[in-house]
Amino acid sequence: MSSLLGFIFLVLSVLLSFITIASEIYRKLEFKNFLIISRASTISILFSFLCLVYAFIISDFSNYNVFQNSHSDKPLIYKIAGAWGNHEGSILLWICTISLYGFFFSFQLNVEENFKRLTLAIQHTLYIFFSIFVILTSNPFLINSINVNQGLGLNPILQDPALAIHPPLLYFGYVGYSLVFSFAIAVLLKKNTNNHWVPIIKKWSLISWTFLTSGIALGSYWAYYELGWGGWWFWDPVENISLMPWIAGLALVHSLFMARGERILKKWIIFLSILCFSLSIFGTFLVRSGILTSVHSFATDASRGLFILLIFFLITGFGFLVFLIRAPENERPLDLMFINKTSALIINNVLMMIATITILLGTIYPIFIEILTNKRISVGGPYFNSTVIPILLPGFLLMSIAPILSWQSNKIKKTKLYVFSFLLLSIIILAQSYFTNFNTWGFLGILLGTWIIVASIIAIITSHKLVLSFKYLKNINAFIAHIGVGILILGITFSSIFKIENNFFIEEGEEMKLIDNTIIKFEEIKITNESNFQSLRALFLIKKNNKKTANIQAGKNYYFVSKTITTEAGIYHDWLKDIYIVLGNQEDNKWFLKIYINPLVSFIWIGIVIMIFAGIIGVIKK
Amino acid sequence: MSRSIHYYKIFFYIILLVSLNLPQIVFSKIALDEEVKKLTLQLRCMTCQNQSVYESESEFAKDITSLVKKMFEEGKGEDEIKSFLVERYGEYILFKPKFDTKNLVLWLFPFVLFLVFFIFFIIRLKKNS
Repeated sequence: MSSLLGFIFLVLSVLLSFITIASEIYRKLEFKNFLIISRASTISILFSFLCLVYAFIISDFSNYNVFQNSHSDKPLIYKIAGAWGNHEGSILLWICTISLYGFFFSFQLNVEENFKRLTLAIQHTLYIFFSIFVILTSNPFLINSINVNQGLGLNPILQDPALAIHPPLLYFGYVGYSLVFSFAIAVLLKKNTNNHWVPIIKKWSLISWTFLTSGIALGSYWAYYELGWGGWWFWDPVENISLMPWIAGLALVHSLFMARGERILKKWIIFLSILCFSLSIFGTFLVRSGILTSVHSFATDASRGLFILLIFFLITGFGFLVFLIRAPENERPLDLMFINKTSALIINNVLMMIATITILLGTIYPIFIEILTNKRISVGGPYFNSTVIPILLPGFLLMSIAPILSWQSNKIKKTKLYVFSFLLLSIIILAQSYFTNFNTWGFLGILLGTWIIVASIIAIITSHKLVLSFKYLKNINAFIAHIGVGILILGITFSSIFKIENNFFIEEGEEMKLIDNTIIKFEEIKITNESNFQSLRALFLIKKNNKKTANIQAGKNYYFVSKTITTEAGIYHDWLKDIYIVLGNQEDNKWFLKIYINPLVSFIWIGIVIMIFAGIIGVIKK
Repeated sequence: MSRSIHYYKIFFYIILLVSLNLPQIVFSKIALDEEVKKLTLQLRCMTCQNQSVYESESEFAKDITSLVKKMFEEGKGEDEIKSFLVERYGEYILFKPKFDTKNLVLWLFPFVLFLVFFIFFIIRLKKNS
């Protein structure tokens, strides 16, 4: 019943979207009614989505999708999350999000009526493309042709709280760029001369970027504790795909900061706005078509891939065509100097673009090679580490001082102070790393990270008087974001380069010695039965300087329904390091154990949280 | 030329010097385990999803690891071991693609773009000043 209702709401919503677009073309409706129909379409698709969630909650196995992806023994939260833990449901969520962005945009103030109408009409067009995709190839409301009383279950690796909210956050990021796209196209079509659109596009692209950041971070945190590989970023194709619109979006946000007065790179902003959404769709195509080998390959079907490719070409082609025909002129030549804010921002944007292109190239290169030479090659982490990181390095150096550069001249206030502190910092860090464990990348990473933090703090102290107000926070927001990046760089450097790994092969009751007087005692093995899985846990006691500090558990889960085993890493969090235990196989009475000591992993998450915080501050109006 | 521009240039030269003068080679004997780790991190575990041989617990990964270790002990070099593995399993096993004609675009394109932009930028700067 709920399936039928859901489908009806879906179709109704598409019809309402058609009416919205038709009324924009024929101009038959008043603005007020136009908005009502547009919003009704969103409400209708929301109902449709709720119907699907409801079908999952009550385990309605007459729905084919529920039957395929759910099981009545699952805890409630995973029943709900199961609604978007599969291809059909997640695409329904995707179109819901397109519609929701249009819905929220319809309440945006300070937009001319014509402008809003056109943007919404374009947004509805995008919505219709994707909803036809849902109806034709990925309908989540299909009826199960056989009568069953049990489902096949959700992929156990997805049964995790972080992963339950990871897809919605990610989609709010990806799909947010659809609105930025629609708005940019509307700007091109209207050829309007004033620059009122700049703050609006800034706000929406910042919202999308913030969601995308949280989505990626959550996915990466999940990979850290769930995959049990000891790391948190693997240059997996699907990770790369999410990184592309993220970097392009970051470039967009930065180029929007150049929108001061007349000095504005209109062409570039519009180009990036179109690009971000194109990359989002292209990413969806790559993931959904299954032509990439990845930990995420759970939904693969060639016809779906082709359909999305078609949509991708239509939308991107249309977008860039309009761009070519009606590209706005930059009003004034740029004041490039060595080095002022304008040129710093341009360097930043270009480097980000090159990084994006490199990631794209590395991700799709194996596909080309396979088609052309029939050979399979892999492009993995080592490639990206040795291309993307060196390319971004100058950008990282620049960002430490970029916010204090001036627009018109190439002078910086208090240059001496900066030069001096940079020198001092390099000497200290060089000495420190020389006497401990010298590593070129480690040294560079630490220097960059600390320098970004120090320079930003100097800049905050010297150029803004401390006042406890929101305006102050807003003024130093760029520095806050950059401090977040600095902390992130430190976390990445330490946790990847100075990671220590220990392998043990021991029995219950034995102890293991690690660095700085830490002893881990392998206490016992415990097996318990949960509602939908059996858990095997090894209990450990961590002692430091002979004092008990913590208990942690590491183990595996065995899921009955899908007959799969997942790794559950045991992690002891500390501000300065994580102790990360992975339980391996058993031989006789002994167990293989892998224990990683990951220094400063917490800095990664702290850095990202600071960046997200800065994103939120940036969105909120004064 | 004002003084501040002068300082400014010094600042950039320092950055350049610091990044170039880094001791590139550390003259210490890397232990065998480290070498094995370095190489197996660059090999794909063929039976897993996008995981390196080093990180994987699978049978395949164990076999490859012991094979690599054995070959190192026999005195074979990194390149030798790699080409042996490529012959046996195909280039798919390498996470870091070889630098050859087929992969020229992959390796050079990003840096060519980088250079082109750099030159273009300098020309624009000269024109402006």
